[in-house]
Amino acid sequence: MAEVRLENITKAFGHVTVIPDLSLTVPDKSFTVLVGPSGCGKSTLLRLIAGLEQPTHGTIRIGDADVTRDEPSKRGISMVFQSYALYPHMSVARNIDFGLRLTKMPAAEREARLAEAARVLALEEYLDRKPSELSGGQRQRVAIGRSIVRNPKVFLFDEPLSNLDAALRTQMRVELAELHQSIDSTMIYVTHDQVEAMTLADQIVVMNRGRIEQIGSPMDLYDTPASVFVAAFIGSPKMNLVSGRALGRPEIATIGIRPEDLEVAESGGLEATTRVVERLGSDTIAYVRVDEVGDLTVRLPGHMRLSGGERLRLHADPARQHHFDADGRRIERVTA
Amino acid sequence: MTDMTLPPDHRPALGERLRRAASNGRLSAALILLPPALILFTLFVILPLGESGVYAFYDWNGYGAPEDFVGLRNFEQMFGHSVFSVAVANTVKIVAVSLLVQMPLALLLALLIYRQTPTNAVFRLIFFVPYIMAEVAAGLIWSFVFDGNYGVTASIATSLGIEQFFVLADRELAFYAVMVVIVWKYFGFHMMIYIAALQGVPEDQIEAARIEGASRTQIVRHVQVPHIRPAIAVSAFFAIIGALQVFDVIIPLTNGGPSNQTQTIVTYLYEFGLTRLRIGFGSAVGVVLFVVAVLVAVFYQRIFMRKGTA
Repeated sequence: MAEVRLENITKAFGHVTVIPDLSLTVPDKSFTVLVGPSGCGKSTLLRLIAGLEQPTHGTIRIGDADVTRDEPSKRGISMVFQSYALYPHMSVARNIDFGLRLTKMPAAEREARLAEAARVLALEEYLDRKPSELSGGQRQRVAIGRSIVRNPKVFLFDEPLSNLDAALRTQMRVELAELHQSIDSTMIYVTHDQVEAMTLADQIVVMNRGRIEQIGSPMDLYDTPASVFVAAFIGSPKMNLVSGRALGRPEIATIGIRPEDLEVAESGGLEATTRVVERLGSDTIAYVRVDEVGDLTVRLPGHMRLSGGERLRLHADPARQHHFDADGRRIERVTA
Repeated sequence: MTDMTLPPDHRPALGERLRRAASNGRLSAALILLPPALILFTLFVILPLGESGVYAFYDWNGYGAPEDFVGLRNFEQMFGHSVFSVAVANTVKIVAVSLLVQMPLALLLALLIYRQTPTNAVFRLIFFVPYIMAEVAAGLIWSFVFDGNYGVTASIATSLGIEQFFVLADRELAFYAVMVVIVWKYFGFHMMIYIAALQGVPEDQIEAARIEGASRTQIVRHVQVPHIRPAIAVSAFFAIIGALQVFDVIIPLTNGGPSNQTQTIVTYLYEFGLTRLRIGFGSAVGVVLFVVAVLVAVFYQRIFMRKGTA
C-alpha cells in the first residue's frame, strides 16, 4: 500500500512561508495531479514528498511509514523532472539502470528490468545512444524508464511535459495514462496546465498561494468549483466571471458561466457584439462584449456563421450558473 | 548572351570574394585590426624565438654580435650536465605533483565550497589569495616560514623539544618544501576553474542521483566529475604548462640550492645561462624548453581536448 499522507505540513524558506499548514491524502494507486499557477507551492510540495526539501513542520507518511526525515532514496519514490535530468555522458541503458547499479543488484535481474522498461517504453533500439541523440519525447521516456526500473511505491512527476511541443505533449499524455493503468502505482503529478490535470487525474488538488483551494475528481472541480479561483483555473476556455449586480442579482458577488453554457437566443437574454471569432472545427469560440457586463467567451457547437462586429443575443441557463460570495467561495443553491 | 547563373556550389573567384569583403566591411576591419596584433606578436614572440634558435648554436656572452659558432656543443653540454638532469627530474616531479596532488586538492575544496553562500564566498577568497600574491612575495613569506632560526619550523622544533632544522638547506627536504609552496600557490587557480564548472552542473541531475540512492562520493564520481571533465582537461593543461615554467617561486626560496637540488628547467636556464653570461647556452636550454612545451601543448590538445573528449 502506498497512500501518501501529508499532515500539517509547513514549509518556509527563511522568512517566506511557501506552504502554511497543509494536509493532504493521496490515495493508494491514484493518479493525483497538483495543479496551480506558477509560485503556488505545488513543486515545493512534490519536493517535500521526494525528500529533496525538508518541511519546517509537519509529517509525511508513505504507506504506514513516517518518512519525514528519511533520505530521498529511502522513501520508495522515484521522480521524473521537468528537464528529464538525464546524465549526458551515459548511454540510455546506463541512465535507466544507474540506480540499480548503485544498489549492486545482480546483473541478471538488472538486465531483465532494463529490458522490460525498454520494451514498455519502446526504447529498445535507443539503448546505446546518448541522451543528446534522442528527441524530446524519447528523452522523456528514458526519464520515465529510469523511474520504472526501481519499482517505486510512488511516482512523482514535476511538470514532465512542459518542455515538449503541443503534439508530443498530447501523445505523451496518453502514454502516461496508459502507463498508470499498466503499472497500477500511486502517481503524483505537478503541472500548471489544467488540460493535463483534467485528462490525467483521478484526483486533482488545486493549489493557490501554498494552500489547497479544492480537492476532487476532474468533473467535480469542473461542475462544482469551490471558489472563484478554481472556477477560473479549471476549464478551457475559462469560465466567464461577471458581477451579480451586472446580471440583476446584487445579492450574489460573482456569477460564473461556462462558455458552453451560453447559447445564442432569438430574443431576450444579453445583447452582445462579437469581437473575435475562432473556429476550431468541432467548436466555434466567440469573444463577445456585452454592455454593462463586460467581455465574455462563448463556446458554440460546430461551425457558426459569425463574424467580428456582429450583434447577437445570448442566453445563460440559470441552473447552469455558479454563484460565489464576496470572499470568492461557492454559494450552494438550495433546491426545493 | 551567355547564361551567368552559377551552380549552387560554385565558389566565387578570388577577385569576387575580395570585392564582396571590401563592400561588406570585412576587408577594412581585417586591414585595421590585424596589423597591430601581428606586429606586436612578430616583434615580441616570433623574432626573439627565432633569434634564440640562432644563438643556441653560438658561444656568446650577450655582448656584441655572436660570432663563435659552436654547432650542437651547447646542447651536448646541456644534456651531459648532471644539474640539467636534476632540473628535468624536478620539473617532471612538479608536473606530477600538480596533477596528482594540487588538482585533486583543488577539486576537493571546490566541491566543498562551490555553492553560492556567504561563507563559501569568504573561503573562496581565502583560498584564492595565494594565487593573486606575487610569486616573489610568496617565496619570501615561505622562506621565513621555513627559517630554522626564527620561522614557523623553528617554533615547531622548539615546542617539540627537538633540534632546530633548516628545511630549505636540506638536500633531501628542500624540494619537498618547494613543492608544498607550489601547491599552496596555485591550487586556488584550479579550484576557481572547478567552482565555475561545478556551478554549471544541473542541480536536478544531482537530485535525481540522490533519489536513486547515490552517496555524496558517487554523485561526485558519476555526475559531477563527468560534467566538469572539459574544465579538468583545461586545468590539467594549465598545470602542466605552468609546471614547465616554474621559476619565480624558487628563486627567493632556495635559488635552486642546496647543491642545485631544487633547480627546474627555467631556473637552470637562468642560473647557468643568464647569470653566467652564457647566452648561447641559455638559448639552447630555452629552445629545448620551447620544443617540449609545444609538443606537450599539441599532443595534449589532440588527445584530451578534442571536441567530444573534453
